[in-house]
Amino acid sequence: MSECIIRNPRLAWREVDGEMIIISPDGQVHELNETATLVWKNAAGDKGLEEIAGEIATEYDVTLEVARTDLAELLAVLETKQLLDVGMLGKD
Amino acid sequence: MAKETGRACLSVIGSAKQASRDTGFAAIRDIACVQGGLRGLVHSVNHAGGSAPLQISIGSVPLSLFIREAALHVQAVKRYSEFFQDSSNALPILLNHRKAGAPGPCEFSYTLDDATLFFGSRRAEFLGVRNEYAMDSLLRILLTVVLLPQRGFLLHAATVVRDGRAYIFAGRSGAGKSTVASLSPEGNVLTDEISLLRYSNGCWQAHGTPFWGEFRAAGSNRQFPVAGIYSLVQAGSDRVESLSAKQALRALLPCVLFFTSENDSHEALLMMLLNLIGEIPCHRLHFRRKAEFWKVIAA
Repeated sequence: MSECIIRNPRLAWREVDGEMIIISPDGQVHELNETATLVWKNAAGDKGLEEIAGEIATEYDVTLEVARTDLAELLAVLETKQLLDVGMLGKD
Repeated sequence: MAKETGRACLSVIGSAKQASRDTGFAAIRDIACVQGGLRGLVHSVNHAGGSAPLQISIGSVPLSLFIREAALHVQAVKRYSEFFQDSSNALPILLNHRKAGAPGPCEFSYTLDDATLFFGSRRAEFLGVRNEYAMDSLLRILLTVVLLPQRGFLLHAATVVRDGRAYIFAGRSGAGKSTVASLSPEGNVLTDEISLLRYSNGCWQAHGTPFWGEFRAAGSNRQFPVAGIYSLVQAGSDRVESLSAKQALRALLPCVLFFTSENDSHEALLMMLLNLIGEIPCHRLHFRRKAEFWKVIAA
């Protein structure tokens, strides 16, 4: 079973000019750049991390290894901010 | 050619709620020099059974203030004299009618220092209000909640009227809102501290508010269509820079007074602001704190 990412359902978010603006329940405003926005759009819990890393690698023409590293670093930050969780694909 | 990956990152660009805290007691100035006279004193105070409700309207939101304490009533009369307006469907606000505790199920509550606001579908209650500043702060908070479903909000901004249209100058404390107001023709300043924007009659309108800063004016209950929004930046020369939707949202969000933590409300706020940004030109105004800045404002 592979890992996936799931957005915190308590957040409000909108894509503006290709980048995501997110408001936390505490009123904090976060802004994601284009790459992080791509990850955010894939954070519905229905796609594995490996698949998301593959999309990053394709979209930005980087190696899968670089994409995996960037993705891992981003997820660590987003988890710390309680913007999303890493879960298991296919698990309710 | 490979696109710039711009390593995925996250930046925190401010806190709407922290911005709102600027409206706390400390940010509210002395209003001893209230203008507008004391005509509101016609609202009588019944010391035996409480006061007659003070009927006001702010941003076309009718409110009925029920104030038992005579001193608070007099202060409210002075503070809101320009906003008296009778209405049969005003939202009742009960001030200090109980000692403590929630009045039952409520849609929203908020505590600021020792004062607490409870808001339900049919009325609001303020508890622990010791002075006019606490009353005023809770009133601002209540308005943010009441206005949101009506496509309205409060913004840290000065509003100046020119040729019948409202120019909004947004910024946090120290950005220059009061300076802009002081450098504008007397009588044209709708507010120097908290602006009220609301979509009505097919366009965005700026309403006068009683929430003033250094000008210490009583405000005026008028409304004007919004011509443009200018995010204030102090600089060595005057110039105007157009903002993209993202830049405008980034500039406005930290200036919006907002107190709820529900994501539905945050969604509504984002939708409303994006609608505003889509309809109203948004700019960054670099200015020298001199009256010449009006020369670079598009007519």
